[in-house]
Amino acid sequence: MLLFKAMSALLSYPSEEMRLALPEIADIVGKAPLLDPVRRDELLALIDELAQGQLLTVEERYVDLFDRGRALSLHLFEHLHGESRDRGEAMVELKRLYERAGFELAARELPDYLPVLLEYLSCRDLAEARDMLSDCAHILATIGRSLVARRSRYAAVLQALLVIAGERPIEVDKVPPVEDRPEALDRDWVEQPAFGGPLASVDPAAGAPAAQRRT
Amino acid sequence: MSHFLERLTYLSRKRETFANGHGELRDEDRMWEEGYRQRWQHDKIVRSTHGVNCTGSCSWKIYVKSGVVTWEMQQTDYPRTRPGMPNHEPRGCSRGASYSWYLYSASRIKYPLVRGRLIKAWREARKTLQPVEAWASIAGNAATAKSYKSMRGRGGFVRSTWDEVSEIIAAANIHTIKTWGPDRVVGFSPIPAMSMVSYASGSRYLSLIGGTLLSFYDWYCDLPPSSPQTWGEQTDVPESADWYNSGYIIAWGSNVPQTRTPDAHFFVEARYNGTKVVAITPDYAEVAKLSDLWLHPKQGTDAALAMAMGHVILREFFLDRQVPYFQDYTRRYTDMPMLVRLRRDGVRWVPDRYLRQSDLVDAPKSGRADWKTVAVAEETGALVVPQGAIGYRWPAEGEAKGRWNLEEKDGETGEDVRLALSVADRRDDVVPVAFPYFGGKPHEHFPENDQGGDVLLRNLPVRRVVLADGEAHVATVFDLLCANYGLDRGLGGDCATSFEDDVPYTPAWQESITGVAADKAIALARGFAENAEKTKGRSMVIIGAGMNHWYHQDMGYRSIINVLMMCGTVGVSGGGWAHYVGQEKLRPQTGWTMLAFALDWVRPPRQMNGTSFFYAHSDQWRYEKLDVAELLSPLADPAPYRGSMIDLNVRAERMGWLPSAPQLATNPLTLAAEADKAGAAVKDHVVAGLKSGSLQMACEDPDNPANFPRNLFIWRSNLFGSSGKGHEYFLRHFLGTRHGLQGKDLGEMGGVKPQEVAWRDPAPEGKLDLVVTLDFRMSTSCLYSDIVLPTATWYEKNDLNTSDMHPFIHPLSAAVDPVWESRSDWETYKTIAKRFSELAEGHLGVERDVVLIPIQHDTAGELAQPFEVKDWKKRECDLVPGVTAPQIAVVERDYPNTYRRFTALGPLADKLGNGGKGIGWNTEREVNGLGGLNYRVKDGGPTDGRPRIETDIDAAETIMYLAPETNGEVAVKAWEALGKITGRDHAHLARMREDEKIRFRDIQAQPRKIISSPTWSGIESEHVSYTAGYTNVNELIPWRTITGRQQFYQDHRWLRDFGESLAVYRPPIDTRTVADMLGKRSNGEAEIVLNFITPHQKWGIHSTYTDNLLMLTLSRGGPIVWVSETDAKKAGIVDNDWIELFNLNGAIAARAVVSQRVHEGMCMMYHAQEKIVNVPGSQITGLRGGIHNSVTRTVLKPTHMVGGYAQLSYGFNYYGTVGSNRDEFVIVRKLNKIDWLDHSNPVDRAVEEAAS
Repeated sequence: MLLFKAMSALLSYPSEEMRLALPEIADIVGKAPLLDPVRRDELLALIDELAQGQLLTVEERYVDLFDRGRALSLHLFEHLHGESRDRGEAMVELKRLYERAGFELAARELPDYLPVLLEYLSCRDLAEARDMLSDCAHILATIGRSLVARRSRYAAVLQALLVIAGERPIEVDKVPPVEDRPEALDRDWVEQPAFGGPLASVDPAAGAPAAQRRT
Repeated sequence: MSHFLERLTYLSRKRETFANGHGELRDEDRMWEEGYRQRWQHDKIVRSTHGVNCTGSCSWKIYVKSGVVTWEMQQTDYPRTRPGMPNHEPRGCSRGASYSWYLYSASRIKYPLVRGRLIKAWREARKTLQPVEAWASIAGNAATAKSYKSMRGRGGFVRSTWDEVSEIIAAANIHTIKTWGPDRVVGFSPIPAMSMVSYASGSRYLSLIGGTLLSFYDWYCDLPPSSPQTWGEQTDVPESADWYNSGYIIAWGSNVPQTRTPDAHFFVEARYNGTKVVAITPDYAEVAKLSDLWLHPKQGTDAALAMAMGHVILREFFLDRQVPYFQDYTRRYTDMPMLVRLRRDGVRWVPDRYLRQSDLVDAPKSGRADWKTVAVAEETGALVVPQGAIGYRWPAEGEAKGRWNLEEKDGETGEDVRLALSVADRRDDVVPVAFPYFGGKPHEHFPENDQGGDVLLRNLPVRRVVLADGEAHVATVFDLLCANYGLDRGLGGDCATSFEDDVPYTPAWQESITGVAADKAIALARGFAENAEKTKGRSMVIIGAGMNHWYHQDMGYRSIINVLMMCGTVGVSGGGWAHYVGQEKLRPQTGWTMLAFALDWVRPPRQMNGTSFFYAHSDQWRYEKLDVAELLSPLADPAPYRGSMIDLNVRAERMGWLPSAPQLATNPLTLAAEADKAGAAVKDHVVAGLKSGSLQMACEDPDNPANFPRNLFIWRSNLFGSSGKGHEYFLRHFLGTRHGLQGKDLGEMGGVKPQEVAWRDPAPEGKLDLVVTLDFRMSTSCLYSDIVLPTATWYEKNDLNTSDMHPFIHPLSAAVDPVWESRSDWETYKTIAKRFSELAEGHLGVERDVVLIPIQHDTAGELAQPFEVKDWKKRECDLVPGVTAPQIAVVERDYPNTYRRFTALGPLADKLGNGGKGIGWNTEREVNGLGGLNYRVKDGGPTDGRPRIETDIDAAETIMYLAPETNGEVAVKAWEALGKITGRDHAHLARMREDEKIRFRDIQAQPRKIISSPTWSGIESEHVSYTAGYTNVNELIPWRTITGRQQFYQDHRWLRDFGESLAVYRPPIDTRTVADMLGKRSNGEAEIVLNFITPHQKWGIHSTYTDNLLMLTLSRGGPIVWVSETDAKKAGIVDNDWIELFNLNGAIAARAVVSQRVHEGMCMMYHAQEKIVNVPGSQITGLRGGIHNSVTRTVLKPTHMVGGYAQLSYGFNYYGTVGSNRDEFVIVRKLNKIDWLDHSNPVDRAVEEAAS
C-alpha cells in the first residue's frame, strides 16, 4: 500500500527530497480508495503546507512539534510505556515482528517510530495493516488529539489512519485549542483516589499533589 | 448460552490423568511458554553507571536484547571489605534507577540541532564563501549576529548533519583564533571524575588549539577554600565506609540519606556500632531523622556554634586539663607551636605574619629562609626552625634535600626537638592584642551580639626576641587562638570567666546568634572531644553544601576544622573532615591530566577560574553593590583596598595570583612575530609591552569587543541552567537575549565605578558568537545554545568513573550503540578536531602562542611573594614573570595537525615525564607499554610511531596505564620520588602491588580497588579505610602549606586585613537586592522577605535531572519552593499555590510547599530544577518564570583571590573565587495570574521584527 509509505514520508523530518516527491505523494493520496473526501482534502492541505515557504521554516515547525516533548512524540511506546521498563521489551517484540517479515531496521531509528511502522505496513497486506492500526488506535488518537489541539495540519495523517483502522476520527470542534491551562494540567496529573470516589470530586485548585500519571 | 456448538460430538481429546484425576498429561504446543522464558533472556549484561554529576559510582547491570536495553539492575559484586566492616552493597538510588529511560525518551536529543536563523545565514554565505570566510561574514555582520543571538532560548531549531555542524564549529574556531586569539575559544565541563574520558575529549581539543578551560569546583561553590588554606590540599576526605569506624559523627549541613543515598547505610550501621550521631541543619532534613540529636542553628550562623565548641574544648581539654593525645597531635601536626610576630598599633598590638628564618639574626642568605617558620623548643626555650616548612620542600641548588617531613627535628641541625605549644610559662610580657569582631554588625535578618565595638582586646603572653631588624614581640598560634576564643588564662583583661558570660565566643554568646541553647552547645563540644580523647581521634564531621554555599563559608568551615584539629581527628580513621560537596576525586589524576590537557603535546594549558570569568563576562561586576570596605577588618589600613571587587580581581590577575581569560588585549599568536621583528626574546618583549602599557591585560577592559570570549563549548553540564549564578545577567550580557533583570548597573544608578577596569556604555549584549552544547536532553543550556550536539548516554559509551565515597574505579560501558545520530563526547570532539585540521590549512599553520600562567601551587614557583603585596603596575615592584606577575610561556601549536595530535600520545610524555602535586617521575616505560597495548600510529605522518589514542577505550587505557593508582609500577616510582623530597621511605605502601596493572576490561569484570599513591593523602590497605591526612600523620609527609602543618593561622596580608587570619564568626553579607523592589510592583498580594536557600533534592541531583518524568511524578511535577507555615500564613499562601519569588536579579514562578520542616524566615528551592518543565510566566518580568539562579548574582570574596604564596597559590579547581549564593534574599508573594505565555511561541511579532 503506497498510501502508507506516503503517510510515512509526510510524518518524517522534512527534506528537500521529500518536498520534490510531494506531487507524487499528492497523486497517491488523491487516488487512494481508502480515503474519504474529507480525509483526502485534509491530507492534500498538509501536502500543500509542506510545499510552501522555505524548507527551514518547515523544519523548524517539525522540530518544535515533534522533537521537543512527549505529548507529540511519534514514538508510539512513549505513549504506551513512557519511561517504564516494559518499553525495551516491547521494542524487542516489534523488532522481531519486522524481522519475521524479512525486514531489519536500516536507519538509526527505533522500531516504534510511527513513520517506521507505516513504512512496514506499506509492505504488508491491508488486513494486517488494519489489524495493527486498530491495535494502536488509542495511541494514534492521543497524538491526533494533540495535533488537533494545536490546529496543526499534521493531524490529517493521524485522522486518516484512524479512519483506515475503522475508528471514528477526532471531532475537531470538541477539542479546544491548546493552551496548557493549569487546571487542565492539574486534571491530567491529579492523583487517583485509592478507593472509589469519582475523580471529579477532587478539586485541583485545592491543591492535591500531582503524583501519578493518569492511565 | 448452551455451549452446544462448543461441545465435541464426534471427537474426543486424548486424555491421560494421574494423581486421581488431579493431574492431566497433555501433548501440545508449548510455544506460549517462550514468552516467559524470553522475558529473562538477554544477549548480554554490561556494567555501567550513571555519571550525571554524581559521586555514587554505583555499579549497575544493563541487560541488552536485540540491541535494545530492556532492563537494568543494581550490581552487587563489589570486592568485599575487610573482616569487621559492612559491605558496600547495594549501591544505587531511586534517581539513578529512573535515569536510564532517557535513552529512548521523547526528551532525548536525536539529531544535531542548529538555530534556524543561523543555519539560514550560514547556508546563504556558504553559497559563495569558503567555511572560515562564511563564518567571518556572519560574526562580522552585527545585524545577522543579532538576529540569531536574540533568539537564544526562544526555540527555532532545525536538524542538521554532523558534516554541516562540525564545519560551522571548526570554521568559527579558526576564525576566532585567527582574528581574536585562541584564548577566546572557551570550554566548560565539570567534575571529570564522573566520566573522565568524556571530559578529556573536549579539554584535549581545547588544550591543543590553545582554548581556555574554565574551572567548575569553585564556580559551583563546592570548593571549600578553607581546605587549601588549612592543608594546601584541594579536598581530600574519607571514604563512606570509614564513617563506620567513627565513634562520634556530626552531619553538619549535609543531608546524607537524601544526597548520598548509596552511602547512607554506613551512617546507619555506625549507629549499630554504638556511634553517636548528631545532625546540624536549619530545617528538619532527612538526616535529622537518623540522628540521636538534631540541632538547628539559624541558617548561616553555624560558625558561631562551632566557635563556641572550640571555646569549650580549649577550656576543658587544653587549659583546665591537658589531654596528652591532643597535646602531642597539635604540637606535631598543626601550626599551634609556630611563632607569629606582633605589630604595635598605638597602645595595642595586632597579630602579624609568621616569624621566618630570614627574620633571625645570622639567618642564611638563601631565599628559602623566607619560607621557613620558627617555633620555640620546649626544653630550652630557644628559637628553632623545625623541619617540614615549605622552604624545605623546594631546596635551592646546593641545599640539603630530604628535610621536608614532620619528624620532630631541627631543620638546620637535624637534632631532635620538641616544640612548645605556648610561651605562657616563659613569657617576657603580657600585652593587649586586638582581634577583629564582626558579630556585632547589624543585619536586618540575622541577630547580632553587640560587644560595644568591632575590636576585641585580649591579654596575650608574648616573648620578646631580638631579630635581624631589632627587638620584636612574638606569640605562638596556640596562645593567639586561646585569646581569640576569649578564654581566661589568668592574665587579666577582658575574657570569659565562665560559659555563661556573654563574651565571644562562649556557648552563651552563640545562643544569642544561633538560637541553639548554650547547654546543648557545651554537651556537643564535650561529647565530641571526649570521644576523640578516648578513641584517639575517631570523631568526625560530615560537612555539606548547607555550610559551604555561604559567602563566608570559610569561617564556617575553619571554625569546625579548628575543632577537628584540636581533637586530633584529621588523618585518623573514623575521624576528621568529611566534605562531600561537588565531590571530586579523580583517582587516576596524573594519568588523566596528561590526556585531558594534552600535556603530551603542548605545555602549559590555558586554565581559568570560572567564577571570576563569569563575573567579568556576564557583566555581573557592573551591578556590584558590596563595598570592599564592608569586608575589611577594623584593624586594616583601607588604603590598599580602594576600588571594587573587580578591581581587586584585576590586581590579583596582574600579580600572578589568579589566571586571566582572555589573557591579553592582543591576539597572543601575533606577539612572537612582533618580538622577532623587534629583535627581542618573546618573554622580554611581552614584559616590556606590559610595563610600557603598549600591551594590556584583557581583564582591564572586559567589555571591549577585542576581549570578548567568542566561542563557548558546554559539555556534561547545564551551565546556563543549574550552575549559572546570575542567570539573568548571563542572558542579557553573555548571550544577548531576552532577560528578566530588574536592577540597574552602576552607570545607570550613578554609582562609583571601578578604578582598574574600563567602563563602556552601552553595556555589551551577546558577547558570544557561537555557543555549542553537547547533551542528550534539551536542558536549559541547550535552549540557549546555537548548536546542540546529541551525545551518547551512560549506556552508549566507554568511560571511567571514580568517587571519593569508595575506593573502586568503575567503568561506563557501551551496552548499545548511540541511538539516532548521537555520538560519544570522544567521537564528537574527534569529528570537530578533524574538520578543524582540514579547514585550518591556509588560515593557521604552526603558530607560536604566548600563554600567561598564574603562579602555581605545588611547584617551586609557589615560593614567590613571601611578605608584602606589591603591584608592578603601581610601580611598587618590578615586573618579574612568575614572581611578581604571571609566568609567560611560548607554546608552539601545529594547527593543521590537531587531529593527528588528538589521536596519538605525544612525545612530551616520555621527554618531560609525568607527575602531580609536586612529584615527578619518568614515564618512558609506560609510553612504551601503551604503544604495545594500543598499537602505534603507522601512517608515516608527523605522529608516526606514537601510541594510538583512537577510541574511548584507548583513552581509558592511557589514563590507567600512566596513573599510579592503576599501575603498581608507577605507584612505586611515585612514592620513591616523594621519598627523595621527604627523606623517608614510602614505597612500602605500594610495593606489594607493584606488579598489578588495572585495565579497562578488568574493571568491566568487577570494580577494582585502586593502588595507594602519593597523589592522595590516604591509603588503600587491608588494615585501614581510606581517610584523608593518613599519610601526613603516619608517614610524616608534611601538609602542603607554608608551615608544612595544618594551619589554624593564616598570615597572608590579605587574610589578615580581611579579618580572617583566625576563624571568627561573620554574619551573612547584605546583597541589597530586596529593598528597591519591596512593595514597588504590587500585584495586590502580601509580600514577605525570605532568605533564599538552594539545597539538593530528593527528586533530581545528583543522579538524574529534574526533567525526569518518574522523579517529577514523585514530586509535584514542576518547580517548587518550600516555605514555613508561619511565613505562608503571613503571605496568605496555602500549599501548592503558585508563588513568585523576585528581587533585583530576576524572578521565579513556582509552586509553594508549605511545611513545618522549614524555619521561619527562609525558603528553600531545590537546586537544579529546570526552567523547561511546567513553568508559567512571572508577573514581574513578563517572561517565563526563571530558574533558581534567576534571583542570584555572583559576589566575589577578596581572600579567594590571593596567590603567589605557598598553599595560597593558584591551581585549577584548587583555589580561587567561589560562586556563593545563600546570602541572597527574595520577596515572596502569591502569583494571582497564571499565564503560560503560549503566545510567545512561535513568535512575538514586535520583538521578532525589531530583531530581524
